Amino acid sequence: MLGTLLSILILGAMISAVYALIAIGFTMIFGVGGVLNLAHGALIMLGAFAYLGLTSTGGMLSLPPLVGFVIAVAVSAAASYAMYAGLVQFIEENVVITFLATVVVALLATELVTFWFGTDPYQLVPLVAGSIHLETVGTRVRYMELLGFVISWIAIGLLWYYVTQTDEGRSILATSMSERGAQLTGVDLDFVKSRTWLIAGAFAGIAGVFLGSLLSTYPEMWLNPLAIAFIIVVIGGIGSIKGSVVAAYLIGYLETVTIQFLGSSFQGIFSLVVLVVVLLVLPQGLYGREFVHE
Amino acid sequence: MSSETDRSTGSTRVLGDTWRSVDDGLRSVGNRINPVFQPLADGYNRLFGAYFGEMNGLQFLLIFGSLLGLLTAPFWGTFSLIQTMTIACIWAVFAMSWDIQSGYTGYISFGHSVLSGVAAYATAMLVYNVDPEMSMAITIPLSILAALAVGMLIALPTLRLSGPYFSLITFVAVLIFYRMIRPFSEYTGGETGIQTVSVFTYDPLVRYYYMLIPMLVVAVALTFVARSNIGLVLMAIRENESAVNAAGLDATKFKLWSFVLSSIPMGIGGVLLVHYYGSVDPTTFVVVDNSIEMIAMAVLGGMSSILGPLGGAFLFVMLEDFLLEGLPASARWTILWTIILLVLVFARDGLFRKLWHALERYGRRGETR
Amino acid sequence: MSNNDNKGAEMTNAGKELVRRRTFLGAAGVGAVTTTLAGCLGGIAGEDDDIFRIGHLAPTRSQMGLGAERSIEIAVDEVNDDGGILDQEVELLSENTEGQVDEGTAVVESLVQEDNVDLLVGTFVSEVTQGVMDFVADRNVPFLITGSADPDTITEFHGQDYEQYKNVFRTGPINSDLQAEGMGQYAEFLSDEHGWEEFAILADDAAWTGPFMDRLPDEIEERGFDVVHTDTMGIETDDFTQYLDDVDSADADAVFRFIAHADSAAFVSTWQSNEYPFAVEGINVPGMSPAFWDATEGACLYETTSQSGAGGVAELTDQTMPFVEEYEDRHADEDPPSKPMYMGFNSYDAVHFYREAVESAGTADYENELDGIVDAMLSTEHTGAAGDMALYDEDSEYPNDLQETRDEDDYISNFPMTQWQEGGEVECVFPETDATADHVAPEWL
Repeated sequence: MLGTLLSILILGAMISAVYALIAIGFTMIFGVGGVLNLAHGALIMLGAFAYLGLTSTGGMLSLPPLVGFVIAVAVSAAASYAMYAGLVQFIEENVVITFLATVVVALLATELVTFWFGTDPYQLVPLVAGSIHLETVGTRVRYMELLGFVISWIAIGLLWYYVTQTDEGRSILATSMSERGAQLTGVDLDFVKSRTWLIAGAFAGIAGVFLGSLLSTYPEMWLNPLAIAFIIVVIGGIGSIKGSVVAAYLIGYLETVTIQFLGSSFQGIFSLVVLVVVLLVLPQGLYGREFVHE
Repeated sequence: MSSETDRSTGSTRVLGDTWRSVDDGLRSVGNRINPVFQPLADGYNRLFGAYFGEMNGLQFLLIFGSLLGLLTAPFWGTFSLIQTMTIACIWAVFAMSWDIQSGYTGYISFGHSVLSGVAAYATAMLVYNVDPEMSMAITIPLSILAALAVGMLIALPTLRLSGPYFSLITFVAVLIFYRMIRPFSEYTGGETGIQTVSVFTYDPLVRYYYMLIPMLVVAVALTFVARSNIGLVLMAIRENESAVNAAGLDATKFKLWSFVLSSIPMGIGGVLLVHYYGSVDPTTFVVVDNSIEMIAMAVLGGMSSILGPLGGAFLFVMLEDFLLEGLPASARWTILWTIILLVLVFARDGLFRKLWHALERYGRRGETR
Repeated sequence: MSNNDNKGAEMTNAGKELVRRRTFLGAAGVGAVTTTLAGCLGGIAGEDDDIFRIGHLAPTRSQMGLGAERSIEIAVDEVNDDGGILDQEVELLSENTEGQVDEGTAVVESLVQEDNVDLLVGTFVSEVTQGVMDFVADRNVPFLITGSADPDTITEFHGQDYEQYKNVFRTGPINSDLQAEGMGQYAEFLSDEHGWEEFAILADDAAWTGPFMDRLPDEIEERGFDVVHTDTMGIETDDFTQYLDDVDSADADAVFRFIAHADSAAFVSTWQSNEYPFAVEGINVPGMSPAFWDATEGACLYETTSQSGAGGVAELTDQTMPFVEEYEDRHADEDPPSKPMYMGFNSYDAVHFYREAVESAGTADYENELDGIVDAMLSTEHTGAAGDMALYDEDSEYPNDLQETRDEDDYISNFPMTQWQEGGEVECVFPETDATADHVAPEWL
């Protein structure tokens, strides 16, 4: 029993760390622009496929994994920025149109990737191979999972430092609290939004490489993570970074426990039910109140 | 830099000129055709204008020309055209139903496939679990009722939520329904679904009319509702909900009404679909892609216009299954989604609304710019 | 060869265009009301045009479907070079079902009603197969299933009303009830080879794995071994650590896993990078792709899967290698798969099988002589590329379904087992009569 609990503790932490990265980007974009970016999932997929194209041993480039990782994250960040600069900023005054346009972009990206890579799954070359066998606990942890956990927390730490300790970052936080207030105090909105989309894209890229390595890489790989990001963000409170981190761990553990004790057929249902309950009892989510809603 | 600006304004001018001459040409054609149909349109306006809105000769020609085309399609269309149009009829029902709720109130539902899915599953599960011989006279009303009940189940708690939360929870409703099908596979048939439902008919001609006539009835009914005071209130909710409340109207009650108005035709569409295929399964009937396609159709034609989504559904299904049929699937979908994206960005009001307004302009006599 | 290929394709398209340009009421066989109406309007043209049309149904965006489409093209070319079917030239109309019921239904309807096909071959996804079944039975068009292995497709249809569904046959693969028996025999083989006696079973939470969950534990225990752990895996699962941990803690020597969805790559890569102390056996549909080695970065080393045709690496009959070589010649530098894959073998064999049957019946006129065709189908014995073929008759447990073949040890031999070995080579490891290499245990065991 103790072994099971420990194993849940470890496995849950690993997957939650990746969920947190996805949810943070999603929630930040909503925070500063009020945009529900459903194409966020597509950025995850893009990160994974960029890494695949750059590093796969059968491919043309076969770059070292670390180089591939850095470029893949940059590609996702750039794609995210391009989406803001090339599309969203022209339509964002209409929430509904923006919302729908991002869905369509996600579907379009999926079809394009399918066109090049087909629908069959790929495995990525791991950044670090191998694993540790925790015999007393009865589970194994891949170095890739540990690395994901560490990188996730480094990224969260850097982001926290950025938004609380630097002027640039503080303007992002200010904007997400009140767009008009920030504007009055001289914040360059356009700059803030571009930055946010860049950061969100980079986070999605990191998550993509880890999801793609730990799970698998295929055009529709983003659907589940996006659904999970939805749930996390709503539970944490739309727009709240802190809420996303807390809720990511909540949902990560919930899923791990569900598989362990209820079996796989209920996987995915339980967290949806929790979500519905939270929405009905606490519609603003755990930390939603720190933001001003109209 | 400056030369580039010159060139671009230059080309804009050329484009502008071309457009103006095309525009003038169309206007003179419009001016010639319009009077021919104006008397018919006037007659229509006297009888029905108060309920469905007035139109000019050109618009009359569009509506009744299309109607005539739909009714006589088997006599001039090819086999695959009819096959495509049969399916398009069902999707038109879905797109119009989505529109009366989401398009009109601005509360975008990402979960409408739950409503049609519930109706279809209700029919199939009654036949599969209760009585294989159960008549359609029982299963059809019960299934539509089931859609209505689930519609209320979603609407009651969620309509208090603001826009994005509403969209999320409707999205989640699809996921929950989809994921419940497997654990309860004893009753639902799991991922392979239930095959024991009877089809209306295998005769494609008869089947076409089986789908077309309910679709037309739904179109007329929803247009009537949308043009009534209810429609006005729903649109007012989209524009400014607090103003509606301030005017002494209970916005939540009207939003609930929009869900009722939407659930019933969704149920009808679900029943049509299940008797079209003679089977249900989660990927054909429930998945969230279905909900997104409904939205795409409505966007294509023009949200909050009922007939726009109808046209959008036909255009979408035609493109997918007929016009682009020869292309590989991913190329086909790439083109489709690109078109939708372009419409979203450059023609927000939808193609059919644009067409409608153009006909109005071209029908006007002697108008100069 | 490639010249020939192009010509075939053009002809196919031209023929299809011609048929499809006719108006709706001109298309024959569309239904009673339509026919009457069209008759009044003088619409229907005579239909017997001396061309034998075959409609092929597969999800051709996936490798399995594409392999099947390419394989049946080869079969059709071979038949045409040899004088066609009953002296009629054969034309292939290949359609993409997308693996979805709506698309599948639509293409079957137009193949039957608009193109008037004389034979339907294919369908991979069980939902699609069962979704089109009633319509096909209603129209009596002979339909040879070559992809889905679900026993329900026979027992729930032919088992209930043979008369209604007698025009539907499965010429491959053997159904999964029989596959489960074969898997039990394979457990015996593993025990002989490596001394493994404790087995675990993990299966997709999907209809096709039902027979394995129901039958395989008994098959294994009957042979004196233990089943130490069984579990189903959610179809949306992509993190397999917990499932593999459970197998590990049950101390299994090998796990039989039955997996068809995309994430099987994640399964094998989790297993390999953690070096779990048990072997991975069973059925892995994505693992049948020759491109799986590259797609998993070699993580699939040592995993096995059973598949009809043995991945094209073993000479199962004298038909096998000529077919595989022809396939490789035609598609050497094209998109994967570089080998036919199991549905390819079955679709290829189906055409030759049907030809042999109707030529012995002397007719392919299913509208008037269906009984004669059915009798001929049930009495035909054919040597195909995937093995010797014969069908079960009406009174058996699986009417119209492919019979299993057995070698001298009574092992089922037409659903052989292949293993990924060193250097990305696929080898046939079981049954021993067809094996090209010994079964290899993971080196970390």
